[in-house]
Amino acid sequence: MSMLEKIKNLESTECVVDTLYQAVSKNECTECGKCVFGYEGVTQLQMILGDITEKKGKSSDLAQMQELCEMMKSQSLCETGEEIGAAVLTAIDTCRADFEDHIAKKGCRASVCQKFMTYHILAGRCTGCGDCMDACEDEAILGKAKFVHVIDQKECIQCGACMEACEEDAVVRAGAEKPKCPKRPIPCKRK
Amino acid sequence: MKITIDGKEIEAREGQNILDAALEAGVFIPHLCSHPDLEAKGGCRLCSVEIAGQQGAVPACKTQVQEGMEVTVNGPESSKVRKMAMELILASHPADCTGCPKYGKCELQSMYQYMGVSPEGWRKKSRSVANDDSNPLVSHLFTRCVRCGRCIRACQELRGVKVLDYIKTPAGIRAGIPEGRSLADAGCRFCGACIEVCPTGSIMDQVKIMKEERSYAENVVPCKSTCPAHIDIPRYIRYIKKGDFDKAAAVVREKVPFPETLGSICTHACEEECKRGELNAPVSICRLKRFAAANDSGAWKARVRKEDAAGKKAAVIGAGPAGLTAAYYLAKKGHEVTVFEKNEKAGGQCRYGIPAYRLPDELLDKEINTMLEAGFTLKTGAAPASPRELLGQGYDTVLVSIGTHQGTRLPMEGNDLPGVYVNADFLKHARKGTPLPVGEKVMVLGGGNVAYDCARTAVRLGAKEVHMACLESEEQMTSTPDEIEEGRQEGIILHPAHSFLKIIGTGKAEGVEIQKIDKFYFDENHKAVMELVEGSNQVIAVDNVIFAVGQKPEGTEEMELALAHGPYIQVDENLKTSMEGVFAAGDVVTGTKSVIAAIAAGRKAAQQMDVYLGGDGDISEKLLDEEAPSPYLGQDQGFAGLTRVEPEVRDASLRTKDFSLVEQPMTCQQAQCEASRCLQCDLRLLLHRPKLWNEY
Repeated sequence: MSMLEKIKNLESTECVVDTLYQAVSKNECTECGKCVFGYEGVTQLQMILGDITEKKGKSSDLAQMQELCEMMKSQSLCETGEEIGAAVLTAIDTCRADFEDHIAKKGCRASVCQKFMTYHILAGRCTGCGDCMDACEDEAILGKAKFVHVIDQKECIQCGACMEACEEDAVVRAGAEKPKCPKRPIPCKRK
Repeated sequence: MKITIDGKEIEAREGQNILDAALEAGVFIPHLCSHPDLEAKGGCRLCSVEIAGQQGAVPACKTQVQEGMEVTVNGPESSKVRKMAMELILASHPADCTGCPKYGKCELQSMYQYMGVSPEGWRKKSRSVANDDSNPLVSHLFTRCVRCGRCIRACQELRGVKVLDYIKTPAGIRAGIPEGRSLADAGCRFCGACIEVCPTGSIMDQVKIMKEERSYAENVVPCKSTCPAHIDIPRYIRYIKKGDFDKAAAVVREKVPFPETLGSICTHACEEECKRGELNAPVSICRLKRFAAANDSGAWKARVRKEDAAGKKAAVIGAGPAGLTAAYYLAKKGHEVTVFEKNEKAGGQCRYGIPAYRLPDELLDKEINTMLEAGFTLKTGAAPASPRELLGQGYDTVLVSIGTHQGTRLPMEGNDLPGVYVNADFLKHARKGTPLPVGEKVMVLGGGNVAYDCARTAVRLGAKEVHMACLESEEQMTSTPDEIEEGRQEGIILHPAHSFLKIIGTGKAEGVEIQKIDKFYFDENHKAVMELVEGSNQVIAVDNVIFAVGQKPEGTEEMELALAHGPYIQVDENLKTSMEGVFAAGDVVTGTKSVIAAIAAGRKAAQQMDVYLGGDGDISEKLLDEEAPSPYLGQDQGFAGLTRVEPEVRDASLRTKDFSLVEQPMTCQQAQCEASRCLQCDLRLLLHRPKLWNEY
C-alpha cells in the first residue's frame, strides 16, 4: 500500500501523526543523502512530526510542513522525496483536526501517542499495597497503606511502570476519555 | 548562442548548462554541489532559476541552454527554493564557523552570507561525529559534511580511486569510507582531490603539513617548493613512471644543468618533505633523478635557449657548480663568458671535495662538456685575476664563485703535528690521485657528510681502523642517515657526543684524547656550551688525524670586496657585491652548503647579471611541451604500503678496496616501480577552484 492510500484508509486505532512519523523515519530518503530536499526535508519532517506526537508541537508546524512538502514535491531528485512530501500534504488536508488536537495538546484521538495518554488508578481495584509507588521513579503517586493510591498527573511522565507493577490491574491507561478517580487517597474498599 | 540572464545577454555554447554559461560569463548564481571539474547532480538546488515560459524553478546546473532562453535568477519561485534549501542545509550544519579551520575560505559560509540566510525557524539537527586524525595527511571532520557529494564524485569518477562514498552512520548519511576502513586500507592514493573540492571544512590537509611560511601551492607540493632550484619533481617522476625517460630528463634540465651529478650526490631536502614519507618512506626522488639523467638521449638540446650575441663580456671566477651554472645561462643569453678556474679541472667541490666513489670524474666530465655546448670559455689552471683587474680587462661584469676550499684546523694542542690533515686537502689529494699518506689508524674529527667523505676515503686508502668523533649526538649529526649507515658498514667507529681535547704525539700524531659530553647546547648568546662527563677521558691511538669541522673561502681578503662573518663575501638580495659590476654566489657567500643550493644561486646570479648587462633576466627554458597529466588514477589496493625501492649497493667488503661507485643507478624496472609510489600531489592544483561570489 502506498503512503497516500494508507493515509486515506486509516483505521480508528491508528493515529495519522504517528503513522506519518513512523513512515518518515523509515523512508528511503533517510538512507540516501544525495539531495537537500529529500534528505534534509525528511529530517525536518521526522523532527516536527516526532515533536507533535510527543506533545511538543508548535502552532507554526502545520504551515511549515506544508511549505516544506510543496518544495519536496517539486525539488527532490527522485520520486521518493516527492511521494513522501505529497503524502504529508494529503494527510494535513484530510486529517487537519487530528494534527490540531495534538498541537493544541488536547489529545490523540486514536490513543496511540504515548505522551497524550494518562495513567489512572481505579478505586474499586486498588488494594493499597504500594507496589505502584515503589515502581514510580518520579514520585508521582500519592498514597499510604490501605489507601487508594492516586497519580499526580502534573508529575507523571507516562512511563507506564506503575501499570506493570500492579498485580491487581488497578492501573489503567486512558486516551480522550478519562475514568473517574479520587483526587486524594481515600481508604480502600477492597481488602 | 545567446541567452539572457536577468536581462543581460551572454554568450553560451551548445550543450552547456545554464550555471556554467553564467559563471563563465561572469554572472554569479549561487551553487554548492556543482564543481567545475565534476559532473553536475542538482542535489543542493541553490542554483535554482526561473525560465520564461516554464512553470516553477529549475536547477541551473541541470538545465541545458537554448537559443534565446530568458533566465531569471532571483524570481519569486527560485528565490524561495534557494532560500529554503540553504536554511535546511544550515539547520543540520554546526554553527561554529569561527572555530572552523575553513573559516573565511568556506564556500558554504560565503554562500549563506551572500544570501543572508539563517536556519532560524527550523528545528536543528546535530550530526556530530568524532574527528578522525589518524591519517598523517588527511584530516576527516565529517561533522561539517553537507553531503554535496563533491569529494565522492572526485574520488569515484574523476580519479577512479573509488574510496569515498555515501555511508550510513548512526548520526546520518555522510561522505566517508565504507565498512569503517582507514584510508590506507581502502586503497586511497592520497591525491588530495577530495580536500581540494570539499566546499566546507570536512576534509582538510593535516595541519602539521601546512606550514605558515609557505604558500598554499608550496604546501600542496612540498618537494618542489623545498628544492632550492624548484625542479618540477612530480612532473618528472610521472614521466619516469610512464617510461618516458627523455621527457623526465628534460623536466629536470629545465631547472638544473647537472642532473646526473645531483642525482648522485644531492642532499635531497625534497625527500625530507615528501608527503609519502608521512605514510611510510619518501619517494626516492634523488635516485630517480639520477636514473632519468642516466637514461637521457639529449633530445632536450634541440629546444635550449640560444639568444643572439648581446656584445657583452662576463667573467666568472671559480668553476664550481655555482660558477658553471651562471656561465651556462649567461652564455644562453648571448653573452661572451669566460670562466677562470685555478685548479687543473673544473667542478669545484664536485671534483675536489666529493669522493670518486660517490661521483666519478667521467660523469662530471660528461656533464661539464654538455654544459660547454652552451658556448662559454673555460680556462683551467688559470690563476684568477682580481675582480677589479678583470673589469679593467674589458669584462662588463664579474662573478666570484670560488667556494670554500680551505679546511679549518681547530686551535688545539698538537694540531700542527705531522700526520694531522684538514678535510679539503685530504680529499683533494685523494681525488687527484696523489693521496696524503695514511697509517693503520685514523681519527676524523667532525660529524657532517664531509667527515664521512674523509673517513670513508681513509678506509679506501688502506687504513685498518678509522674513528670519527663529533660533538653532536647521533640524532643531531648533520650527516645524512644513509652516510652514517654506509659508514658503519665500512667499519667506521663512531664516537658521537665527544669533545676532542688534544692531539698527542712527539714528532708526529700518535693519538687523540677525547671526552664524553653530557650536555651540548647553545646558550642565550648562541654560544656553544658543553658539559663533560668527568673521568670519561680516553686516548685513542692513531697515526693520522683529519679535521673535518668546516671549510671557508680562500683569498677573498685580496679581492677589495666587502666581507661578512670573516672571509665570506657580502652581497645584497640581488647578489651584488660592494664593487660595481661584481657579483658573488655560492658557498663563498653562504658558507658550505649543497650543490643544489649552489646551482640555484648560479641561476639567480645569471639572471641578475643579465639584467645588469641590459637583458631581461629571463633564463627560463621550455625543454618539452606542456602536457596535462591524466586526472584519472584508478584503483590500486595496497598503494599506501608500497615500499621504497633501494638501488643496488656494492657490498661493504668489496667497495672499501677501491674508489669505484658504491651505488648503481636504478634499473628501468626499479625506477618505474619507485616512480609509481609518488602521490602526485601536484594533480590537485589542476582542479579549478570555484570562485566565491565576491570574486565575480
